[in-house]
Amino acid sequence: MTQLVMSGVLLEQSALTLEELAQACAVETTWVVAHVTTGILLEAAPDDQSEWRFSSADLVRARRLLQIERDFDANDDVAALVVDLTDEIRRLRSKLDTAGVH
Amino acid sequence: MEYKDYYQTLGVKKTATEDEIKKAYRKLVRKYHPDVSKEKNAQEKTQELNEAYGVLGDAEKRAAYDELGSGHQYRAGQEFRPPPDWGRNHGFDTNGGFGGDHSDFFSDLFANLGGRRRQQPPARGSDNHAAITIDLADSFHGATRTVSLHLPERDAQDRIITRERTLSINIPKGVTAGQQLRLAGQGQPGRAGPGDLYLEIQFTADKRYRIDGRDVFETVPVTPWELALGGEIDVPTPSGKVTVTVPAGSQSGRKLRLRGRGIPGNPAGDLYLLLEVVLPNADSARAKELYQTMAREMAFNPRAGG
Repeated sequence: MTQLVMSGVLLEQSALTLEELAQACAVETTWVVAHVTTGILLEAAPDDQSEWRFSSADLVRARRLLQIERDFDANDDVAALVVDLTDEIRRLRSKLDTAGVH
Repeated sequence: MEYKDYYQTLGVKKTATEDEIKKAYRKLVRKYHPDVSKEKNAQEKTQELNEAYGVLGDAEKRAAYDELGSGHQYRAGQEFRPPPDWGRNHGFDTNGGFGGDHSDFFSDLFANLGGRRRQQPPARGSDNHAAITIDLADSFHGATRTVSLHLPERDAQDRIITRERTLSINIPKGVTAGQQLRLAGQGQPGRAGPGDLYLEIQFTADKRYRIDGRDVFETVPVTPWELALGGEIDVPTPSGKVTVTVPAGSQSGRKLRLRGRGIPGNPAGDLYLLLEVVLPNADSARAKELYQTMAREMAFNPRAGG
């Protein structure tokens, strides 16, 4: 059976707008705005919200933040800390794996 | 499909309060968090917990789920069909529900229910998220890969159902782990058009390589004489075989950098080859003799001066 081969677009080529990120996370845009304002998402954000662009890493981060905030009723700073620490653990583990240390 | 006992998954009684369910979920989801848990099945367990809490943590879904069990004594794993009129009294939607991480039990139940009950479907369908695992080499050359996902679609009666769909996806050259591939219009149906499907790129675990952004680290086994005398060696890399020059007098652990030989892109990453000595076994008389000759004639003590 021949099947249609689909082509997607990498977010690195076409980043998400504020509305698109909110839709992708199934949240209101106010949630995204609050997290950009506190610097948890999008470290260097332009003043004009219409110029905000979110990459793959931002989308992954936003979804993980949401999960922690919802699972534990965590405030946004604590959720950000958890996500940052988890990233660090993953990075170190990957280094250990290559070094053959377990 | 098999009946799933969500109360059993969370280890709570059927009479548990909202608060008890929340506490039980939090405790277990911490225990099985894939980044900290030592349990082998942590990933799978986390998905089960999320699915169970997705239902029992939501008053309306819980009520609908309880209705299923009433009058029947379903056990976990038992063959199960939901009654045709099930869910009539529950008008919730399934926003943010499926897309790879849920069991058939959950998808069938709540997808059908959502499609039938939803009074006012959202303007635009929800986006779906899933992951696609590719080999590192796919990123170097580009590839077409198929992925099977449980994705919602509309059936002939205009209901939303989940169906396993096999999609063939173009993997663009130069993708790296964590990047998101957005497939417009492949998400959930909606009044004003479907949502999108986001596929997160993951690499198949391969202990030869470590990937950091676009840089690739590869451990290369070498012989003692290749290190000591130097010379050209052939190395299989994700982009194919390359010939590299080992500088004479290299030690094990030396790192050779091949600029631009990492994951393609603008700029491309670098490939780091970590030379790691492998000693031949002294498992024959001749091999032993060679080692003995070295021991006698080289006067080498790596601990001297230590």
